[in-house]
This record gives sequence, C-alpha cells and structure tokens, in this order.
Amino acid sequence: MKTSRLLKIAYIGLGRNKLRTFLMMIGIIIAIAALTVIVSLGEGSKRQVMERMKKMGADASLMVRPGAGVQRGAPGGQAGITTLTLEDAKAIEEEIKNVKNLAPVMNKAGVPVKYGNQNSTPMVFGVTPIWRVVRTFDVERGEFISEDDLASAERVCLLGQQVVQDLFGDEDPLGKSVFLINVNFQVKGVMQSKGTSTGGGNLDNRILVPITTFSRRLFNQDYLGQILIQLSDVSAMYKTAEDVKALLRERHQLAATVPDDFTIRIPEEALKTATAVSSTMTILLSLVAGVSLIAGGVVVMNIMLISVSERRKEIGLRKAVGARRRDILAQFLIEATVVTVIGGIIGILLGYGSAEVVALFTETPPAISWVVFALGFGFSALVGIVSGVYPARKAAYVDPIEALR
Amino acid sequence: MAAVVQAVNLSKVYQKNNNVPVYALNDVSVEINKGEFIAIMGASGSGKSTLMNILGCLDRPSEGKVLLDGEEVSKLDDETLAKIRNKKIGFVFQTFNLLPRTNALENVELPLIYSDRQDITNLAKEALVSVGLADRVHHNPSELSGGQQQRVAIARALVNNPEIIFADEPTGNLDTRSSLEIISLFNELNKLGRTIVLVTHELDIAAHTRRIIKIADGKIISDEVNQNPLDAENELTKISSAEVLNENK
Repeated sequence: MKTSRLLKIAYIGLGRNKLRTFLMMIGIIIAIAALTVIVSLGEGSKRQVMERMKKMGADASLMVRPGAGVQRGAPGGQAGITTLTLEDAKAIEEEIKNVKNLAPVMNKAGVPVKYGNQNSTPMVFGVTPIWRVVRTFDVERGEFISEDDLASAERVCLLGQQVVQDLFGDEDPLGKSVFLINVNFQVKGVMQSKGTSTGGGNLDNRILVPITTFSRRLFNQDYLGQILIQLSDVSAMYKTAEDVKALLRERHQLAATVPDDFTIRIPEEALKTATAVSSTMTILLSLVAGVSLIAGGVVVMNIMLISVSERRKEIGLRKAVGARRRDILAQFLIEATVVTVIGGIIGILLGYGSAEVVALFTETPPAISWVVFALGFGFSALVGIVSGVYPARKAAYVDPIEALR
Repeated sequence: MAAVVQAVNLSKVYQKNNNVPVYALNDVSVEINKGEFIAIMGASGSGKSTLMNILGCLDRPSEGKVLLDGEEVSKLDDETLAKIRNKKIGFVFQTFNLLPRTNALENVELPLIYSDRQDITNLAKEALVSVGLADRVHHNPSELSGGQQQRVAIARALVNNPEIIFADEPTGNLDTRSSLEIISLFNELNKLGRTIVLVTHELDIAAHTRRIIKIADGKIISDEVNQNPLDAENELTKISSAEVLNENK
C-alpha cells in the first residue's frame, strides 16, 4: 500500500481520539524537550568556551619552554638555554594528533632599536605567520609577517604600541626603517594593544620579525624560546601535555632518572572552563531525559494496547474488506510512530523555548544545531517503533470473525 | 446460469475442551448463481453465520471445498483470502460497523484503500449516490439515522464492485420502516444485477427474497424458490398511508 494512504489512515485514526493522542504525546514531548535543553545548552556552552578560548589566545594554548622548572613570567628570562629546537617543534606538529596549530618562537629581551635619534630596548620575537592565530594577537595597521617573508628571511618587522610611542611619537611608522642592532628593518605593521600579560610583562613593548630573520640575520641562533600549541580538543589538554612530554623526552634522549630539560605550561583556567561542560549536571539531566523517554515509550505502548483492544471491531472490519495482516501492522506502527515523532517535534520546539528561558539565568545562549534535530527526531521515531511493534502485532492477528461477532 | 459461489460438502468442526467434535456445518452443498437474491435462514446457532463466513472467504471449511467465480478458495492462506475479499466480496453487518467519527465518504473508501484502485474518492461518492445518500457524504455516523448508517455500510459493500454481497442480519438493529427501506434497496440492487445473500432469522425479511435456504443444526433442511416474494415498496406505501391515517385521527 502507498505510504500516503498509510499516513492518511494513521491521521484519521489519531484524529478520531484527539485527547488520547495528546496523552500519548505528553511523555515524549517532555522527554525530547529535556533532551533538547541539555543538548542545546551543552552545545551553547561549548561554543561559549570556544569563544573564550579565542579571546584568551595563548592562555588557552600549551606552552613549551626550554629548561626545567621555569617559573611563569616574562618570556626570555631563560635566555641561553638551548634544549628546544625547531626540529622539536616540527616533531610535535607532526606526531601529536590533538595539535591544531603550532607556533615556534625565538625571543630576546632588551634589544636596542633606533629610529632617527630615538632609542628603545624592547623584546624582539622571531615568529611564523601562524603565530598571530595561535596567540590571537592581530595587527592594527599594515600587514603581518607572510610566508614569503619567512622563506626569504626578509628584514621586516611589526611594532608593538609601546614601541611605536617610544620611537615615533605621533609619526606614522608604516614603511619607515628602524635599526635593530644596526640592521635595517622596514616597519610592515603595527600590532594591536594588549596591555600587560598575566606575568607582568608589557605585551606592547615588543617587536616581531620573521623567525628566519631572527635566527640568521640577527642573532645566529637556532634554539627556541617557546613553542605555542593550540589544541583541537581543549578538554584533552592534560593528555596532550603528557604526549608532548613523552615525545620530547624521547627526542632529547633523557634517561628515566633525568628530569625534563623543558617545561610545559598548562593553562589551568582555560581547562576548567572547557571541562565544566561535561559536568555531572549534564550526565544527570541526560539520565532524566533517558528515563522519561522510556517512560514515554511505555505510555505509548499502553495506550496503543488499549486502543487496539477497543478497536477490535474496526480491525475486524478492515480485515473483512480486504486489509492484510501487514496492512494492519503498518497502520498501528505508523500511528504510534506519527504520535511520537510529532511529540518529538513539539518537544524540540518546547526544549528550545525552555533553553532560552534557562539561558536568562545562566547566561549560556543555547545553540541551534542539526545534532538536536537529529537526536530528537531519531529518538522519538525509535520510541514509536519500539513501543508500537507489540500492539501492532496484536492488532494484526485479530481474528475478524471473532471481532465482528 | 453461472455459479458465483459453489460449495461442495462443506463441514466445519470445532474441537471443544472435552474433545467432543461439534459440527457447526455438516456436509453442506450449495450453489449461488449470478444475479440471485437469496435468504439463508436459521435460528441462532444453526450454522448460518458459519456458512456465510466460509462462503465469504472469511473462514475456511474443515472439509469440502468452495469455488468462488470458478476458483477454489477453501485452501488459500489468510493474505490471499484478504485480497479476494477485497476484490470480489461485499459485507453488510447487523451493527453497521462504521468507523466512528469518520464521515460517510471515508467509511465507504475503506475497501478501496486496500485495493490498488485510483480515484477512490469519486468511486466512494458514486456508491453513496447509488444508495441515495448524495447529501450525506460528509456526515459522521453519529449524525445519521440507523437506516442511513446501514445504507453507508451497503455503499461500502458496493464500492469495490463485488461479485457477491453478504448481508448478515442487516435489518436486525432497525425499525420496521428502515428495515423495509433497506430491503427495498437490496431489491433494487438485485434488479441491477447484483448477487445478494441475506442471512436472517426473520421470515418477514426472508420473504422478500426469491430463494430461501433454511439451515438447522449445521445442515440445509430446505432450499426453495420463493414464488411470490413480498414487495418492500408496496409495504412501505402501506405503512405511509397508515401513518397518515393515524395522524389524521
């Protein structure tokens, strides 16, 4: 029989007893609504965390530094420790799965810079183009270091706001030449202002140059001051840190008794926000949704059974006029499924409404995503089929002679 | 005349708890020809309903065989029988058996839903027109009188253009006037060529048909042509004039 006819039969059958149909739906509506609230709020807070991560930049990334037990503080404090190399950085990027972006950094503090007769001694960073993504530190004017700059070790630089103020005052620095330890550099851009770092260093008192230029033209240095690692899955940060640690120990050929010759800094704050999503609350709510879905299914099965025994005459008649067993089976199965799917759709809508209300108090905006629809739709259809099978089979085996007597 | 239904040596046996076999039908042979208007009569428990169920492909005999339209149907499985019922047989029941809260049209469409026929709405409408309910198409059963409900049921039995219509006590739940109207409708349909089998225990009803088969204890005890069938039209006119008289008193 055609699907449209089956659906029409189900529609007529359900429409004949609207109250009963509604009662069947209630359990499913509540369950799917709860599910929707959980999933959409979960997605919402996940997105929120992502946003925060973006803002935090380096604070949400793993940072590897050379030397053991280095205190958190101004980078460059451990100048001269040569244990971390570009090859280490490459190895991490290639072998650790959770790495989204990786930025090797060379740095030196107190480098003399000159423009005209103005002098300053900012910190100089040798970086790669990806650095500004990992560090979420963008240019205000001009352009950032490009791959070409990197490849040919161009003598270009970007200035922090403090440096601009010290050297140029009100003058526009773009395109001008500055002298870094007597090497001529062209100013390619000006960085945004970032203020002071958590460690107390002035993030605006910096000059950025391509890492290749830093290494070959300025300081003849081949070791790194830090490696910044942005992760794909922030909640797996500890695991990734362990992996990085193991990889570096292996590469540095450290015996088991020798302490690390590097330090991995884990941003605790970021980690807390990230893992808060999968809290006990979510598990508890999911459990509630699951249980109410089962309860809803039992209600559907119960009412379908009542419906079948009440409609024995109808079933008998349908068989008398030519309905086959599978027609009756399909009819009741579709009735149950239509009820739960409609309940599911109402539940999804109701869930969104509730999530919006919840968001007023928790400041977590619910996220609309296909996951919610897929889950809600899938679960409600599943419940309909599972709880409809037994009543539908019972209906299919009704004896028409018996029923019509 | 060609036989629509031919039953040969039918028996239907029920095995009760004490293992004593009970014969609902015992060696019954009968032939129903195209265009006949027949009454199967008998007291309750006589086996007339069992016979109708077997002839109507709702049930299978324990022994013997049934040929419908020349095709043996007594050994077919449930699903095939359902198909045959859908194509070749129409049923009318004592309690109408209309789907509640479902309008006349949708009730009449019911057999067509299970067929592969197209344009079911128009066919159903035509059937309703043919039983005189053109103006009740969108009424629910609760908005119709008993007689009208039974007409909807007859339209439902007609809609698939069956070879034969079985009516099981079709007037059992109706008053005299509605009963006569229904019988008159059957008579008209018969005149248009329909083969109709009435199952009843009332002689008054059976007297309108042209052949009366009497059953008792699972056996056919008589099978006679009714030479002078009553004319339901006539009786209706009589009742009407009687009513007019009563009102004038």
